[in-house]
Amino acid sequence: MTIKKERTRGQKWTRRAFIGTGGLLATGLVIGVAGNMYMNKAVKKYSGTGMGEGESLNAWLRIAPDGTVTVAVPRAEMGQGVNTSLPQLIAEELEVDMSRIKVIHPQPDAPYANTFLLSNSEPNFYDGYDMMEKVAGTLALVTTGGSTSIRDGYTNMRYAGATAREMLISAAADKWAVEPTSCRAENGFVINEKNERLSYGELALAAKEVDLTELPELKKPSEYKVIGKPVQRLDIPEKVNGTAEFSIDTRPEGLLYAAMRHPETIGGKITSINNKDAISKMPGVKKVVLTEFGAAVIADNTWRASNAAKSLDVEEEDGGNGDLSTAMISAKMLETLDEAPLATPENEGDVESILTDEKSTVIEGTYEVPYLAHAAMEPLNCTVKIAEDNSSIETWVGSQGASLVKTWISDVTNIDADKILVHTPYLGGGFGRRGEPDFIKIAAAVSMEMKGVPIQTIFSREEDMRNDMYRPAAMSRFKAVVEENGDINAWDNMMALQSVTNNAITRWMGSMMAPSPAKDIMTIEGAAHLPYNIKNKRVAFGNVELPIKVGFWRSVGSSQNAYFTESFMDECAHAAGQDPYLFRKSKLKGHPRFEAVLDKLAEISNWTSPAEPNRFKGIALHKSFGSIVGQVAEIEKVGEKEFKIDKFFCVIDCGRIVNPDTIEAQMEGGIVFGLSAAMFGEITWTDGSVDQYNFPQYDMVRLSHSPKVSTHIMDVDEYPGGVGEPGTPPAAPALTNALFAATGQRIRSLPIAKQGYKFV
Amino acid sequence: MELNINGKSHNITVEDNMPLLWVLRDELNMTGTKYGCGVSSCGACTVLIDGVATRTCTLPVVAAVGKEIKTIEGIAAEGNLSAVQKAWIEHQVPQCGYCQSGQIVAAESLLDATPEPTDEDIDKAMTNICRCGTYQRVRAAIHTAAKYRKESATLLG
Repeated sequence: MTIKKERTRGQKWTRRAFIGTGGLLATGLVIGVAGNMYMNKAVKKYSGTGMGEGESLNAWLRIAPDGTVTVAVPRAEMGQGVNTSLPQLIAEELEVDMSRIKVIHPQPDAPYANTFLLSNSEPNFYDGYDMMEKVAGTLALVTTGGSTSIRDGYTNMRYAGATAREMLISAAADKWAVEPTSCRAENGFVINEKNERLSYGELALAAKEVDLTELPELKKPSEYKVIGKPVQRLDIPEKVNGTAEFSIDTRPEGLLYAAMRHPETIGGKITSINNKDAISKMPGVKKVVLTEFGAAVIADNTWRASNAAKSLDVEEEDGGNGDLSTAMISAKMLETLDEAPLATPENEGDVESILTDEKSTVIEGTYEVPYLAHAAMEPLNCTVKIAEDNSSIETWVGSQGASLVKTWISDVTNIDADKILVHTPYLGGGFGRRGEPDFIKIAAAVSMEMKGVPIQTIFSREEDMRNDMYRPAAMSRFKAVVEENGDINAWDNMMALQSVTNNAITRWMGSMMAPSPAKDIMTIEGAAHLPYNIKNKRVAFGNVELPIKVGFWRSVGSSQNAYFTESFMDECAHAAGQDPYLFRKSKLKGHPRFEAVLDKLAEISNWTSPAEPNRFKGIALHKSFGSIVGQVAEIEKVGEKEFKIDKFFCVIDCGRIVNPDTIEAQMEGGIVFGLSAAMFGEITWTDGSVDQYNFPQYDMVRLSHSPKVSTHIMDVDEYPGGVGEPGTPPAAPALTNALFAATGQRIRSLPIAKQGYKFV
Repeated sequence: MELNINGKSHNITVEDNMPLLWVLRDELNMTGTKYGCGVSSCGACTVLIDGVATRTCTLPVVAAVGKEIKTIEGIAAEGNLSAVQKAWIEHQVPQCGYCQSGQIVAAESLLDATPEPTDEDIDKAMTNICRCGTYQRVRAAIHTAAKYRKESATLLG
């Protein structure tokens, strides 16, 4: 990827003209106002709500008299490190030490829209929008997901720092009556030629009034002191002493707790509560409520609420899905594979005639993956306080969709969105689940039943696991013709699954906003447009209509498609009698970044060295969210179908590096996430209900199963790619390809544990 | 009933069978100890009871009466981080951080019983779930904490 918009130096812009726009934003009038110019001006003027003491120099930072810089991080911190990496971008240009930075999560107002998520191009509020960014900007979605935080903020945040720095320099030069060009900024001070110094804290008030006439030049990567360094995470100290506040830790005065009871069957509805009076008399119970989403019990303690909710005797209509089972779902996917595809997003050459040519040797494989739960460690919860006179709502929720929280709560309560305050504490894991509206709408509905007090509505682990918006089950049927020289002459991939984007966006914003299943790019993400040089290729899919709610799950389409495609690439290599690394490499001419990752991976994993006895390796390469990741799994055979996953080697090319330690951490964690799914993860259905209740039935990788991961980050001067998700997709195929090397058995269905394998 | 938590006495009036976790979180507002599963499977609710790592989401509060309860809030003695906490920062262990109170408390207990654990000892003792997958750093940090503990013991000795 190249940087789309290069800056014109000396571009004129002033600040005075923008005064007055902040009010518009505050009253929510942003939608419909001519996007480009408006947004461009507004973000320069806007100062976030609740940023604390000091002077705002722009929407992202405020400087207090003592020099503390409050940075507004408009993305949720869910472990991916945004509370540190985004401030690094500001600190670099502002010339302040990271220790002076304090992070807040601002109200999800329009200037903080994540335009990259929708436009997939580098946004720069200081230089105007292109058409797609304009649309994304007017939607004003302040969201965290799609591995976009750095990709969205990389330019904006640096300009936020650079313009503030120039304003501070200009204010100091005024005081000294010297030219700004004779002054410099260093470590929180402006310094002049006589070595006199003024601190940012002293200058902030005057700096606020400065009209810059030129857009400052950003530093060259070679000048970076903060970006690219393994800066220690700002959130870690409070995460080791128990003081970090997650939304479940919200404790406003007078807090009550509500436990949720969902319908048993998918699409079901609880129509009445038979023992309401008896439950109302249980210890601590304040109220028993029935909402459109299910029943709930409000009590003075989570455990009391939970006990009471479990004791509810309810009537339920099953919604017509009472016979849904996993066997039925698999049969339906198989049927879909045989039908004409809904869409064929990639179709080059003439796959059909090669596959049907009598002289062709066609290899074939049909793969399947199950539904998966997100199972974030912090069970879903949301705290809402609705004023008795409906004049305001305050909510505390770890959400990946902060601006949508307002819309969703407004939908349920009929109270204007601009009366709603959204606090974003830490998220105890997100993985896509916390972008969903259900737990927020439920909390709003419960709080409507008892206004004037804050109520924390919590899903028990069981409610959380059985009412997820799952990663969809999917099938992929491959056919290929591999020539004797190893060329893949034809590659055919037909998939069958539910559409995640159609499903999720319908929940978020209504079906009008949702792309049709045929247009769901997440379905083919990581399956179409592979980097390998293949002459004739066809990638198609069919939509499986089911009532199951599916959603974005860390790495989305790539979570299954990397497993499918990289397993079948291995099958092709085996058919050609070639080494899986060299086979892939031979097809990467013209894709130097992929080839470089693969070569580095072979190097650090000692791929070509003779293997030690009972040790086997598998390789996988996959691009997702703008980053290329290659992984090698090294496993040890310790018994019949019994293995130890000893090591993982990982190479990532994510373009410019912001925080290398965070990237490594995301690779380590992403691999474990992928392995949990590959080894153990499975949500199954019987009679329209989920069979798994809790971790004993839906287990995941624990410490003893986790491999030692060695990560290498490529040094590539390109626009940054994402890092939160790309570590996950290659883990499953690297492992299954290693198992093939060890056993000669191709694993075409996950989870592996279900195929009789054991892991020590 | 009376509970001794982090060296302080607390008088509470709750059902005998209320799990200690919910007494800590909802009655005493000590929210560092987390709810994860409610069935003693994930370890997010781990605290030390008489020095032993114990999962509190299924432990009736009455069973903790008369014992020394130490939660994550009490691990740093008078504000001084423990060797485990220091090592946790040095290795930048937490990601989302939700399970880390339980991981840290479990690590304290492991090191009390086994001052110089091997990888195998760690594998066996550390069974808490971390959905973010910080295990590799947990392992490394425990080795480092063991070293710090040994050094400070030498200094004191």
